Amino acid sequence: MNAPSIRDRLYEPPGPKTRRRIAVFTVIALLGLGFLLYLVVRQFERQGQLQPRYWDFFLKWSTWRYLGAGLLSTLKAALTAAVIAIGAGFLLMRGKLNKNPVVRWVSVALIEFTRGVPTLLLIYFFFLVVPRMGVSLGAFWRITLPCAISASGIIAEAFRAGVNAVPRGQTEAALSLGLSNLRTFYQVVFPQAIRFVIPSLISELVIVLKDTTFAYVVSYADLMQNAKVLITSHDSLVSVYLVVAVIYILINYGLNKLSDRMARGGARTAAER
Amino acid sequence: MTQRYPAGDVPVIELKNVNKHYGDLHVLKDISLSVRKGEVVVIIGPSGSGKSTLCRTINRLETIDSGQILIEGVPLPEEGRRLAELRSRIGMVFQSFNLFAHMSVLDNMILAPVSVLKKSRREAREEAMRLLERVGVADQAKKLPAQLSGGQQQRAAIARALAMRPRAMLFDEPTSALDPEMIGEVLNVITELAQEGMTMVIVTHEMNFARRVSDRVIFMDGGMIVEENTPEAFFSHPSSQRAVDFLQSIRTPEAL
Amino acid sequence: MSLSALLSQYGDLYLQALLNTWRLTALCYVGAFAIGIVVTVLRVCPVKPLRVFGDFFVQVFRNIPGAAMLIILVYALPRLKIMLSYEMCVIVASVLIPSAFCSEHLMSGMNTIHPGQIEAARALGLTFSQMIARVVIPQALRSTVLPMTSLAVGTMLTTALASQVPLRPNQLELTGVVNYINSRAVGGVLAFAVSAVLYVSTALLIGWIGATIDRKVRILR
Repeated sequence: MNAPSIRDRLYEPPGPKTRRRIAVFTVIALLGLGFLLYLVVRQFERQGQLQPRYWDFFLKWSTWRYLGAGLLSTLKAALTAAVIAIGAGFLLMRGKLNKNPVVRWVSVALIEFTRGVPTLLLIYFFFLVVPRMGVSLGAFWRITLPCAISASGIIAEAFRAGVNAVPRGQTEAALSLGLSNLRTFYQVVFPQAIRFVIPSLISELVIVLKDTTFAYVVSYADLMQNAKVLITSHDSLVSVYLVVAVIYILINYGLNKLSDRMARGGARTAAER
Repeated sequence: MTQRYPAGDVPVIELKNVNKHYGDLHVLKDISLSVRKGEVVVIIGPSGSGKSTLCRTINRLETIDSGQILIEGVPLPEEGRRLAELRSRIGMVFQSFNLFAHMSVLDNMILAPVSVLKKSRREAREEAMRLLERVGVADQAKKLPAQLSGGQQQRAAIARALAMRPRAMLFDEPTSALDPEMIGEVLNVITELAQEGMTMVIVTHEMNFARRVSDRVIFMDGGMIVEENTPEAFFSHPSSQRAVDFLQSIRTPEAL
Repeated sequence: MSLSALLSQYGDLYLQALLNTWRLTALCYVGAFAIGIVVTVLRVCPVKPLRVFGDFFVQVFRNIPGAAMLIILVYALPRLKIMLSYEMCVIVASVLIPSAFCSEHLMSGMNTIHPGQIEAARALGLTFSQMIARVVIPQALRSTVLPMTSLAVGTMLTTALASQVPLRPNQLELTGVVNYINSRAVGGVLAFAVSAVLYVSTALLIGWIGATIDRKVRILR
């Protein structure tokens, strides 16, 4: 959710007429939304999807342990991919800011490539082509590597934005003190840039986490795969997929919230300086 | 433009026992004030005294908790079309200019005359150019606000308010955001308006200007009107101790 | 397989796939924009339940993985007696997910508007709707050109979901076509490279259009 400020700045304090109108529309909206909810529930009811047998196994500990194991694999893949992507993204950023035009061009090309190609295409590449080239990768790497490559370009750009956000005077001051270019970057510029970058790195994790849901393509046993097993054993597709979707949504929501909060905190400390 | 009316006529702006709170903070305490046609009232006071808030209540950019505000004898409407219509008759000039950033100066000038007063575009443009000429920025008409200096932007903003042919003008610290060398050009425009008989309420920190241009000075402190006086009397022998202290503090800034 | 052999055999299919990706992207982008605007109106309207609903909509579709969304549309909806064609499932997913991001961009675009701009509009006597139409929307749109450009690329990437449902050969898009070729012949690296080049070129084209528009309309402050 964005800062709510604009919502309130748009409106003046309501007068009596406006207050009445808002009250009327609030009632209408509540009725409308209530009716919508009723339609959804009725559809579930009519198709028998509210029967206890579709839902009661969620009360069992074993169900959650199983989903939890899948979630753990998902997080393992996502975090590994994120770490690789951060490393690769950092190198690409250094490449893009390099003085050597060849290095620069190669980095720009790689960044544009990773940003313009769907993760699915990369996953199929690792699934279909890489094994034929004589490289045998396990399912874990077949999902982790394409997700990492796919995120590396965006992360490179996030790093670059962070470096650009550090005032130019910082570089000038460091260089004028006789620090080398490398030292200036690693001891002065980058430590300041990282603070701007961390919020976007967290939101990149959301992208990586979403991409790992394609793990079924390479038969990696992630949350989605374990959900599929639950579905066959309980013959209960709708409820399981809905619950799994909610799990993903809640995790990503939490990550986005964390990112927002850190971005606000970062902006505050930057303003205080 | 208009000649000065004798006292006793219906005031253009009238505030009766106006109170306003921000949470626990009582920012306007029982303010009563009336501005007659053609009168120039300057409001001064330390920052946080409520002078800007007072100015902004007059066209309801700030709401009030109690009391009454009358414009030409009519209570300020609370909302809707009638409030908009009333605002269109009172010009406002802001500290931060607030020209619409996505439009050229000329488009800024004709937006409200065309969409509020329903003037034809041609008529509005002619009037706009005339006013821009008058404030000395006609050659900048096609530019975007950000391409103008602060002084030019503020003069264009004054022209934009004048394009609505307002009955009165409110100035909320019109020179506080300006570089020192640009303050003069804006004050000159305001002084000219005063001489032509425009009814004005001006919140300002420019004491010489206040003394020169005003018919009446209102000194506020702590959300109250502490003193209301003629400029001569106020600046040479203020009757309240707080005004004395205030004038002292701004006259010798190096003593702070 | 050489590039010329690949293209002589599958060139038409690639062309068709490129056009399908473009068509899907354009269609879904327009849909996402329309829904994004409606949702944003709900999110800023003064009626609390509608605001909450708008926020809820955005959080759901911004955070749901594309695969999960598609699976629900393809497998779960039919059990609730809601039947959509495979292509329609892809379109719905590629509209709803970007629409949430579209609304987020519009919200942050509106948040860049200086409060003084709104006060000035009020002080001039503009009504609420005039203020929205002449000041708020133009300024919000101008400051969201670049995010909206990324959204177009993102929408294109989302349409790769179409490779996950069975479609006729003439419905294949750039990711699906690679699968198709690989299942018939040894397309190898080249089969991927052709699609990747077409994707990246499209993304660069979209980026260039966006940057050009942005230069023209960006608000100087």
